[in-house]
Amino acid sequence: MSDIADLAAPTRHIDLGDEPMRTRSRWLWVHAFWQRKPAVLALFVLLVILFAALFAPWVAPHDPNSQEFEFLSPPSFEHPMGTDDLGRDLFSRIVYGARISLFVGVSTVVLAMLIGVTLGLFAGYYGGWIDTLITAYVDLQWAFPNFIIAVYLVAVFGTGLTNVIIAVMLAYIDDFSRVVRGMVFTIREQPFVTASRAAGASDARIIIRHILPNSMAPIIVQATVGVSSAILAEAGLSFLGLGVKPTTPTWGLILSDARTFFSRGWWLAIYPGLAITVTVLSINFLGDALRDIFDVREYD
Amino acid sequence: MTRFLVRRLLVSVVVIWAIATLVFFMLRMVPGDPIGAMLADVDPSAAEALRARLGLDQPVYVQYVRWMVNMLRGDMGNSIYGSNQPVRQIIAEALPRTLSISLVAIVIALVISFTAGIISAVKKGTWMDHVVTFIAILGLSMPSFWLGILLIIVFAVNLNWLPAIGYAPLSDGFWPWFSHIILPAIAVGTPFAAIIARMIRSSMLEVSREDFIRTARSKGLSARVVLVRHIFRNALIPVVTVMGIAFALLMTGAVIVENVFAIKGLGRVLIQSILNRDYPVVQGAILIVSLVFVATNLLVDVLYTVIDPRIRY
Amino acid sequence: MSENTDKRIEEQARREFEEAYKFDSSDPLFGLRKEEMRGPKMTRRAVMRLLAAAGALTFVDVLAACAPSAPAAPAAPAAEGEAAPAEAAAVGGELTCGWAGVDEIRTLDPAQINQVLQFQIASNVMSGLTHINPDLTAEGDLATDWTVSDDGLEWVFTLRQGVTFHNGDPFTADDVIYTYERSSNPELSIHSGVLTNVTSVEKVDDYTVKFTLSAPQASFLVKTLERASGRAMTIVNKRSIEEDGPENYGLFPIGTGPFKVTENLLGQSTVIEKFADYYDPERPKLDKVTFIPIPEPEPLAAALEAGDIQLIGGNPPAAELIDRFVANPDLVVSEITGPGFQSLWLNPHREPMVVEDFNKPVEELKKEKGFMVRLAIAKAIDRDDLIKRAAFGRGTPAFGTINPAMRYFFDTGINETSEQRFDAAAAQQLLADAGFPGGEGFPTLKMVITPAGKREGEILVDILKQNLGITVELDIKDFPVLVDMFDAMDFDLLRIGSGGDYDPDDGLVDWTLTTSKFNGPNRDASMAFGFFSDAEADALIEEQRATVDLEKRRELVQQANKIASDKVASAFLNHPVDTLVYRKEVNYPEVSRIPGLVDLDRVTISS
Repeated sequence: MSDIADLAAPTRHIDLGDEPMRTRSRWLWVHAFWQRKPAVLALFVLLVILFAALFAPWVAPHDPNSQEFEFLSPPSFEHPMGTDDLGRDLFSRIVYGARISLFVGVSTVVLAMLIGVTLGLFAGYYGGWIDTLITAYVDLQWAFPNFIIAVYLVAVFGTGLTNVIIAVMLAYIDDFSRVVRGMVFTIREQPFVTASRAAGASDARIIIRHILPNSMAPIIVQATVGVSSAILAEAGLSFLGLGVKPTTPTWGLILSDARTFFSRGWWLAIYPGLAITVTVLSINFLGDALRDIFDVREYD
Repeated sequence: MTRFLVRRLLVSVVVIWAIATLVFFMLRMVPGDPIGAMLADVDPSAAEALRARLGLDQPVYVQYVRWMVNMLRGDMGNSIYGSNQPVRQIIAEALPRTLSISLVAIVIALVISFTAGIISAVKKGTWMDHVVTFIAILGLSMPSFWLGILLIIVFAVNLNWLPAIGYAPLSDGFWPWFSHIILPAIAVGTPFAAIIARMIRSSMLEVSREDFIRTARSKGLSARVVLVRHIFRNALIPVVTVMGIAFALLMTGAVIVENVFAIKGLGRVLIQSILNRDYPVVQGAILIVSLVFVATNLLVDVLYTVIDPRIRY
Repeated sequence: MSENTDKRIEEQARREFEEAYKFDSSDPLFGLRKEEMRGPKMTRRAVMRLLAAAGALTFVDVLAACAPSAPAAPAAPAAEGEAAPAEAAAVGGELTCGWAGVDEIRTLDPAQINQVLQFQIASNVMSGLTHINPDLTAEGDLATDWTVSDDGLEWVFTLRQGVTFHNGDPFTADDVIYTYERSSNPELSIHSGVLTNVTSVEKVDDYTVKFTLSAPQASFLVKTLERASGRAMTIVNKRSIEEDGPENYGLFPIGTGPFKVTENLLGQSTVIEKFADYYDPERPKLDKVTFIPIPEPEPLAAALEAGDIQLIGGNPPAAELIDRFVANPDLVVSEITGPGFQSLWLNPHREPMVVEDFNKPVEELKKEKGFMVRLAIAKAIDRDDLIKRAAFGRGTPAFGTINPAMRYFFDTGINETSEQRFDAAAAQQLLADAGFPGGEGFPTLKMVITPAGKREGEILVDILKQNLGITVELDIKDFPVLVDMFDAMDFDLLRIGSGGDYDPDDGLVDWTLTTSKFNGPNRDASMAFGFFSDAEADALIEEQRATVDLEKRRELVQQANKIASDKVASAFLNHPVDTLVYRKEVNYPEVSRIPGLVDLDRVTISS
């Protein structure tokens, strides 16, 4: 089962038109995207956050773990987001925290996508017992929210960055398998596929040339949604103490650690929460826009 | 209908069995065997005795069968720490707390989301619609624990209107119970409300374009009647489908938020047993949490057939 | 209080303290007249002398009793209708307490209690023959009177009549016998060791019992019979244990105390209510008290500030909360010198801190790699910095188990003399000599710490990183789990300590002696000892227990303490302050401010 964000929009079937999507002009998409100002703003915000995460050592003014400053000093020029209860620069911690959040969010979803898409392709394309088996597994996972699955898996694997990534990654596989399997069923019987098969194209060729490109749109939308919910999942796990090491700065953990000091430093309660919310919000806006663009059918 | 129900029930049983089995074997597969590791530090003769008592000296399949039989009898073992409380008792105490939060959250969320969703659909394209849409996406993007923290700071600490933490059973009276539940319920109910509001908006818009609505309009029915009797009723169907999923998400939120409000519900039991490596409790909690999800999914499927007469199995 | 008064009180206390030790140790009654030791309340002089003889008297006790802020005389024992009018006016009401740093209060069965936070509650529900008061003198509780034989071996107690248990059973001599039989059986009670000096307990009649000891024991009244901290002779109810089983008794102990347990939801709340048939009709004042275990600091603080809870008991609240509480006009923060210490324990059975045998001179040990690492860690910790950052300046640097609340015994020079004294350069050199120059190649160690200690843990991690270049990871565990891990020696580094050491015996016997009940009792049998074992220290500890000469005993105590320090039994961190925090509307009388206890029978609440 997928988490929060993708449920926000009703599930719609993707109208493929008569032709493979890749022949459409890409410029049309860019234009459509540019039309959606909130999404453009969201993309800009995300790029800024991504830049900060990638170049954290240059962006962050201080070592995120250095406890050398005054405790709990309010935001100032020297410390744009103030310092925490151990005298660490909050802005630097949040910048470094972006690395973990984005890394976990993106890497888990990419891995889940690779595995999930493969499973979905196999299930949808070959059917039979492979389909039964994969579908049974996917259905089993579908019965539970991703976050709960991640918690279960952390219970088994233990905490730590690698284990958290594996747990979150495994939790998202079913989302992709489900989407892709559905897509394959639809595409498999399309005229251009049957024609290609009649012409003697191999399975691999059909999958790579026809099915995969045509499934791209929903996969991308699913991935966007996945990243936002994976970021929330990591923050939640960290907040509960089930995440990465208790000394690594991550947004969830910064918030969790500072809990005793909120009444003495509002900035400790506000900035880490804002970091999570703004990031997830931007991805959700982006996801919404992509969904609208890829979906030909419009409501309004 | 009966056939569908029976089939669905069987599937649910299989899912629960599969989960229980997976958890049983996975916890025994963990590097170092956590239960063995726990015993290794104890004096060997005591460890031997404890192993025998817990049946860990038996082959895995024997352990598995024994464990299954105990589970079916409702015996989920005992906590390995302290007074070795039975897992069943721990869970029996925790479950009402989680269900309380979830149910209150649903009620609050439904009221808010229906209002917001309908306004947004009726006033489509206006600033009200944009505001509702933005708030809905914001509600989905805020971590529930952060919202919980903000609620505590505002309503419990600064305004001092409501208790910051803890739980009071309904037997203590409605207000004590409700006053403890309301803040966590808002925190977990917010994403739920956001989903339902957006769902209502889009399904109402979708339904309003359907032929039978045009027919209804052309028959000269008032906008109000069309809205209530046709659009809204038909728009409910897709809403119900996400209800089950949304409820599951609510439980997810509860798992985290219970830890913010120090309420020892299922979520807190689960998380703490994981942190403390109290495996019998982990197993029991996972099983019960899973049971709640599977039961909810089942309920929603049934509800779905009841609400939408077109669906027959 | 002016400095002069301070001086004067200290002088008076010193006189009393030294007077207490003026006796011939071969005299079974320690130079006291028989009358002085009689019940229902011993004279102050007798109590102090007995405590001194038992090695249980501390200077701070005497000082506290002399200070003008303390009540001139301790409240009369079980005063029949003596409550002050002001107190009488404020009868009734409900109190909600937050129990800090604990997830669930697992047992209240006196035979199983092993945590302060448990006997704090049990002391409100159960009774003993005697009970201590703030100046640590014994008062009659279920005993109204007692006499002692000339040789100090036979103690005859007259029991209070008309006392009933919460289940209606009358309290008689049979209950004392039953409690003794249960508590002295190691199978049934973890406190049987406290009773080894008792050879027999006889019922003389329904309301008279006679204890026979194998040797004179001055601390008998205070340590053995006391209802809370002793726990061995906390009177239990036979019918309840036999009919409902010990498991149920741990949740709903039937006692004769001022409150009875009416509801106990593990991990959620424990409710005690006024016991209407308590023998003192004036007590308790409150109708109902609820204890809520709150493991994490922020919910605890928020609950107190919002008024959901009105008093904090249990484990000490997280250090970072204290300033916040002090600044809050709605709260009262009562701080006294804490009788305890906190330490970072280094598992001597784990690489790279392995020490197979501590029985060699320090200079010899210093040639072993494992010991070098231990000493390097201990020397790298700047205690002043740690206290400033972790405890916001509250507390004293620790280099041993003997704490400053034991003033006379506390070694004020140990911060200069201990091998553990802070020296970053020397620590780095030791680590380099052990084969880890600059921390290179040093394995990542795990430090087990409670959620409330996490912040201090992060500071320790930072200090070790800065000063040694080594990486330590935190492993956050709830307190009961941490205790289990400590007992099983299942850790690399683990932070734990003590909060109730009033006498050198508590610090040394519990934490340094090889046979200590804390010394890895559940460890793997292949480990010869738990965290520490040293024959010389053991001998010194045994000797000081029996030494009555004050100067001499102090010397022995400090020697043993220094050995544990020099040989790095653990890396000692700090001596915390003892803090009780409650809301303004709670009236917590001085007479109930017994260190380590939260006695609520005289507490009232104004609406």
